[in-house]
Amino acid sequence: MRAIFEFVRFAQRALIAQFSHFPPFDQLVKQTYQASVGSVALLTMLTVFAGLNLSVQSFATFERFGGQDFLGMFAGIGGVRELYPVMAAVVCGARIGANLAASLANMKISEQVEALEVMSIDPMRHLVAPRLWAVTIALPLLCGYADVIGIGASYAGAVFQLGLDGGTFMSQISQFVRMPDLMVGVFKGLIFGWVVAVIACFHGYRAAKKDGAEGVGIATNRAIVHGAVVCIVMNLVISWILYG
Amino acid sequence: MNWLLHALATVGAIAAFFGDVVRTGLTRPRYVGETLRIMWILVGRCIIPVGLAVAPVGAVISLQGLDLFRMFGLDRMLSSLLGTAIFREYSPALASVMVAAQAGSSIAARIGTMRVRGQIDALAVMSVDPMRYVVVPGVIACAVVTPLLNVLTNILGVASGWVFAVPLGGVDHGAFMEHLTAQVTPADLWIGLGKCVLFGTSVGLLAGYLGMKVKGGAEAVGQAANDTVTQTIVLILLVDYVVSMMLLGADL
Repeated sequence: MRAIFEFVRFAQRALIAQFSHFPPFDQLVKQTYQASVGSVALLTMLTVFAGLNLSVQSFATFERFGGQDFLGMFAGIGGVRELYPVMAAVVCGARIGANLAASLANMKISEQVEALEVMSIDPMRHLVAPRLWAVTIALPLLCGYADVIGIGASYAGAVFQLGLDGGTFMSQISQFVRMPDLMVGVFKGLIFGWVVAVIACFHGYRAAKKDGAEGVGIATNRAIVHGAVVCIVMNLVISWILYG
Repeated sequence: MNWLLHALATVGAIAAFFGDVVRTGLTRPRYVGETLRIMWILVGRCIIPVGLAVAPVGAVISLQGLDLFRMFGLDRMLSSLLGTAIFREYSPALASVMVAAQAGSSIAARIGTMRVRGQIDALAVMSVDPMRYVVVPGVIACAVVTPLLNVLTNILGVASGWVFAVPLGGVDHGAFMEHLTAQVTPADLWIGLGKCVLFGTSVGLLAGYLGMKVKGGAEAVGQAANDTVTQTIVLILLVDYVVSMMLLGADL
């Protein structure tokens, strides 16, 4: 309970720091670049398999009532609205979030954060805020990228492996996956990016000197697990509000 | 070419490691107490994150699927999609991913720490085979705990799907249950559990492999823990896809 309270306070402080101090542009570009490009390879692999799976797996169900032709609609909507944003968030949590938590925890343990405070430099503004901005910008971009790769993979799975008609699949996609669906996916990416980053920074920031090197490991692990769980739960809440 | 050789070497090393684990796992002496202890710890650590991660998925499938199925007046069929998707696909894959994130990384970190501190070598000096005492119990524990958690997440996933379909979505309870029991066969359940054993084993194996490979200091330990998570997620999705294709080919 106390941890949740602490987290809310941390998130509040982070939000204030984020908006009162916009990081210098070149620094922002550099960090966003690191966050996004570093995860592209992993995200590509994962989305390819997730997209293929989405086709192959739901095919069995749709086949039971002769609805194979609607696979495109299902794979497109399910993927763009739900699967790929969550996927990008979990991958992002496992890579970017873990990195954030580890680097902040390292700074905390070697007392670099306290050193900043002594020099009356607000660590929230100079350490946390730029990272938050970077991830919040990077994740929607990654979401859009995952949408493209994922739909491509679903198409490949449906056409080349299941032998469905490619034209039907594409017309299903273009008919049912509309701009609002894409925007919802990207909007989710925006929210998840911020949440993953705040959780990662929070756990990194909580590490104390007495924890030693083990504290870094604990912070990293918690950043990954809590980030993933919170994103999945939030995904449900957002979908519920939008579609319920 | 260099990276290709490198990748081949890694695959070979993991295969050799796997053979080693199987060999030591099948011969005596066995450390049953240690295995049970690790299993108990893993269950305690994973049960909440795994449950929390899988339960919303059923709800989301109901939420999105209901709209789509309604277009064709098929909303009574929703539960067959929900049941198959949860039992065969999402519950095993997601439960294993969360086990990898929670248990796999902590096993890798633990083995890595032991390695860095020289405790692995100390075990070897005391003529306790570190593979037998440290790695094999971790692999067995992961392989057993993942299916157990999967049983729980199956129930949670279908239950949350039910909540969003029946009380909130307005599907008839009788129709929901009928399609669920008619379309979801025991084969679906066993396939899911089988996948979980496969995924759990690979989580334990990769964690053990990366943990034993650690050289250097605390940073390498953190790196190993992190690598375990990302690499097992890729491996799980890859294996998942291959298994799905094979099952589709076998018409199961």
